[in-house]
Amino acid sequence: MSLAVAIEKNVGGFRLAVEFAAGKAPLGLLGPSGSGKSMTLRAIAGLETPDRGRIVLNGTVLFDSGRKINLPARERRIGLLFQNYALFPHLNVSENIAFGLRDLPDADRKRRVAEQISAAHLFGLAERYPSTLSGGEQQRVALARALAIEPAALLLDEPFSALDTHLRGALERQLRETLGTFRGSTLFVSHNLEEAYRVCEKIVVLANGKVAAQGPKEEIFRHPPTMEVARVTGCKNYSRAHQLPDGCIEALDWGCKLVVGQEFAKSPEHVAIRAHHIRVHPPQYLNGGNNRQNIFPCQLVAMTETPFRVTLDLRIGSAPADSRGFHVQAEVFKQEWEMFRELPQPWTVELAADRLFLLPD
Amino acid sequence: MNWQAIFLSLKLAVCVAAILVAVGMPLAYWVTYSEWRFKFLVEAIVALPIVLPPTVLGYYILVGLGPRHFAGKIWQSVFGHTLPFTFGGLLVASVIYSLPFAVQPFSAGFESVDRRVIEAAWTLGASRLSTFFRVILPLSVAGAVTGVVLSFAHTIGEFGVVLMVGGNIPGVTRTVSIDIYDQVQAANYDSANQTAVVLLLFSFVVLALIYGTNRRALRFK
Repeated sequence: MSLAVAIEKNVGGFRLAVEFAAGKAPLGLLGPSGSGKSMTLRAIAGLETPDRGRIVLNGTVLFDSGRKINLPARERRIGLLFQNYALFPHLNVSENIAFGLRDLPDADRKRRVAEQISAAHLFGLAERYPSTLSGGEQQRVALARALAIEPAALLLDEPFSALDTHLRGALERQLRETLGTFRGSTLFVSHNLEEAYRVCEKIVVLANGKVAAQGPKEEIFRHPPTMEVARVTGCKNYSRAHQLPDGCIEALDWGCKLVVGQEFAKSPEHVAIRAHHIRVHPPQYLNGGNNRQNIFPCQLVAMTETPFRVTLDLRIGSAPADSRGFHVQAEVFKQEWEMFRELPQPWTVELAADRLFLLPD
Repeated sequence: MNWQAIFLSLKLAVCVAAILVAVGMPLAYWVTYSEWRFKFLVEAIVALPIVLPPTVLGYYILVGLGPRHFAGKIWQSVFGHTLPFTFGGLLVASVIYSLPFAVQPFSAGFESVDRRVIEAAWTLGASRLSTFFRVILPLSVAGAVTGVVLSFAHTIGEFGVVLMVGGNIPGVTRTVSIDIYDQVQAANYDSANQTAVVLLLFSFVVLALIYGTNRRALRFK
């Protein structure tokens, strides 16, 4: 089970140049819109012809510009789940699923369709037309239709983006189950990092048509190698950084000096930290005599509440926050917030050394 | 009432509609999906009969299909006679004259089919031909029916091209519109009226049937 992709394509002013490989475990293609995710998927499926490169699936060359090989989409045996599902509106559910099974004898085709209907929990919907189905049902039909041809690889283009939030959880669980039994390579395109993290083992981060990072998901989230990757993986706080002779870092935009826990070869240009890694404490924490580092007084500038968490816009320093600007955004649980919300400011903010990202760019 | 002229007109219209399905569908498919940069030239040529007076078109077809010209000579050497003033000549002229009335609705129908649905068919292993018959055509039934109806109706009603290319030979090229004109010229208003009423009723029934069917075909949208 392997899918190796190395392609280049210029379209208008946009340049796509990506190289990655997927094995049995689902591979996530993560990136903002316009980063080239969909185009990459379409090139693999044979709907878009790259200018240069190679695409090899389980040893079969699907595309090779050097050897002038370009298998048409219909011969690639790749299941593609479109973002809007692209069901055939004039065919009912079982006809949609049977669409790719034309060459099978009647009995086999019926059996295959029945299998997919049962696997996708579509009982009772076989005779229904797509326009009468809910978004979640349409998604399951589209997935069943793609899987019915027993594809060698499965490409999922933002499969949850067209669905209501409350439907996503259940469908995602079902998708993960399905992928667990699928015996081919899976590519999962998403701009939602949490979704990609839950579904995939490995992640490729795309930015501006290039691979910004790739590897095991934990690795990428724990040590984003560049600003771009930090941003794509959801990091919200950045500051220009300057290395000091004593090994510490001066965070120029935050106005503070930071002790860093890690070695770095090249002097970092930026320092960053995730919002939920920032700890906020009551005021007395600063003088508590504990040997925690990187603890600074801070003032609250603004806050946003969600049901279980609060996002605090903080200004580092003990002077009252006169300007509307803030330095860092911290995300804390409601129960933590209850402990210091009534206490006088300045509070204290902790930017733990082992949570800081030192970015070379 | 001139039944001969009525049957001739119907025969001509059915033949033209049939030929335009065979010729117009591939042409409309090409016009819709080709990425050739000079495609607009072909589109302009196909649309010419909409703007040209029938007499201009009829004149060129008459001369072009005549025995002095290349196309006419080839026809003559194959079939042993020339095209003008025959039913065959009328047919060729009518097909050309009605071409845009078939191709444009066909093409509009194809264009209305979601591109991703077509691509989905490809990824499921369907060839281009199979995709056309199993996906594109069923989803553009409305455009196809409109094209057929318009070319049929347009042929029944044409006058100028028929007169230029076909002349007025009873049973061969004298169609309903020319017959009615003849009757009126000869002051036979009763006969002209009868023929006109039959034509009017027939046209209305055909159009009503087709638009009624078309409405049901649109239920997926």
